Amino acid sequence: MSKEVITVKRSTTLRQLLEIFADFHLFPLVPVVEEDGRLVGIVSFRNLIDVFSPYRQEILKTVPFLDDQEEDIFKAELTKDIGDLVVVEDIMETKFVSLQEDTTLEEAFKLMKLHLKEEFPVTDKTGKLVGKIGIFDIIRRVFQEKGVI
Amino acid sequence: MNTILGLGFILIAGLFSARLINKIKFPSVTAYLLLGIIIGPSLFGLVSEEILSASGLISNIVLGMIAFSIGQNFSLDNFHKIGKSVIWISVLEACGAWLLVTLAFLLILKQPFYIALLFGALSSATAPAATVMIIRQYRAKGIFTDTLLGVVAIDDAWCLIIFAISLAISQAIYSHMVATFFLIRVFLNSIWNIIGAFILGSIIAILSSYFSRFIRTQAEFLIFTLGFILLSIGIAIWLHLSVLLANMFLGAFLVNIDKSSFSSFDVLKTVDSPLFLLFFVLAGANLEIGLLPRLGLIGSVYLVFRVIGKITGAGLGAHISNASKNIRKYLGLGLVPQAGVALGCALVAKSDFPNIGSMIFTTIVATTVIYELIGPICTKIALKRAGEIAID
Repeated sequence: MSKEVITVKRSTTLRQLLEIFADFHLFPLVPVVEEDGRLVGIVSFRNLIDVFSPYRQEILKTVPFLDDQEEDIFKAELTKDIGDLVVVEDIMETKFVSLQEDTTLEEAFKLMKLHLKEEFPVTDKTGKLVGKIGIFDIIRRVFQEKGVI
Repeated sequence: MNTILGLGFILIAGLFSARLINKIKFPSVTAYLLLGIIIGPSLFGLVSEEILSASGLISNIVLGMIAFSIGQNFSLDNFHKIGKSVIWISVLEACGAWLLVTLAFLLILKQPFYIALLFGALSSATAPAATVMIIRQYRAKGIFTDTLLGVVAIDDAWCLIIFAISLAISQAIYSHMVATFFLIRVFLNSIWNIIGAFILGSIIAILSSYFSRFIRTQAEFLIFTLGFILLSIGIAIWLHLSVLLANMFLGAFLVNIDKSSFSSFDVLKTVDSPLFLLFFVLAGANLEIGLLPRLGLIGSVYLVFRVIGKITGAGLGAHISNASKNIRKYLGLGLVPQAGVALGCALVAKSDFPNIGSMIFTTIVATTVIYELIGPICTKIALKRAGEIAID
């Protein structure tokens, strides 16, 4: 598990979010925390894409028969001030899987396969973020245990 | 055409007809319905008897899945998020249409109470697809748009509850028409139908939540979720309970007792599209065009009073919740479209009431086509009058 995690707040703007990860090739899973460190949401690259589709609201996820129109990000029109108007709270996911710090590696790996995810935030018993675990952490540990590294 | 060839044809033709109709800014649902009507026995007769007879099976499965999915609306978290206005408006516009259409069928058309009640319940549904499409097309933005989206998102949940209650009462009236202790029997039957569905949904949710710990892969998870939904549908049918309510309670319980249950709802989205397509095409194919001339008056009364009920109910809900003047005046106009849930419920009514089922179903399919054509125009007018779309 990695304890050095870049986190954001609900009030972080889209512009700040994009600047924080400007040097990353892949947008990681970003935990959203309260002042006291409690984990309240996550932001993934999917949520950044959703900025181009203003009507992909969480409540519409329960609606049957909706035409799932993927917005063409190259053609979509965005105003310049959207970078300051959209904040993390508008785009974060509040329903997500997180692991407790005492979860075993086998259990974490099983959950990654089950939910088709490559990383999860890790919290303590009070819900405060303590780190993040990725699939490479687990695979590397297995190689280590088998003496490869 | 053999059954498998027919199914393949329906899927491919459905896909491309949807693409075509999307170009003229109508939702895919309209294309599926029209395709069904064209290839159905009333016109070209390209759908085999075997496929048509599977309509009941497919609609039960699809409705079970929809009800399960709609159940996730009933979490405390969700109710906090959607707000007071949306709840008041959605409840009252659904009940407004239910009440007004029931009364119109009773008093104007002099229909028996159980038929009036069924039509009233069917009228409470809306069709979010058409509304969302117009909002996207015109890039509408603002409080009115947000409220409209919230109302169409939650409306089908109220419709399922209203329909399940009305169906239970109608069945009880229909089967005990000459029985002694008539009212007591009607009451007990209805209560059993609803409480039984509640108990069944909650038991299946607890079992599903417990056994989910043994699931290891996404593929297993899909099979597992579908399995539990089918179990719930099957047991509900076996015990003569409401399939809709049992599955809605299953979804509602699951979302409240299991924090990771959102995955169950997400995983279903990987398989629902072809089933929904088949459901709508078969709904269109089941339309009996020969009945249409005789249903002119019934259809007209339904068309008019449903819209009046929705507009009045939405206005009242907006007034009670102190919503803005624009919401009070125009939101009901955005709720005209009708499609999936109304059709599914009409199919249930068709199989439960063989003597009047065709009349109910044909009325709902015909009015759905009309509503799907005029609904988007009404939504556009509402958004424009509310000042939330700029382009013409």
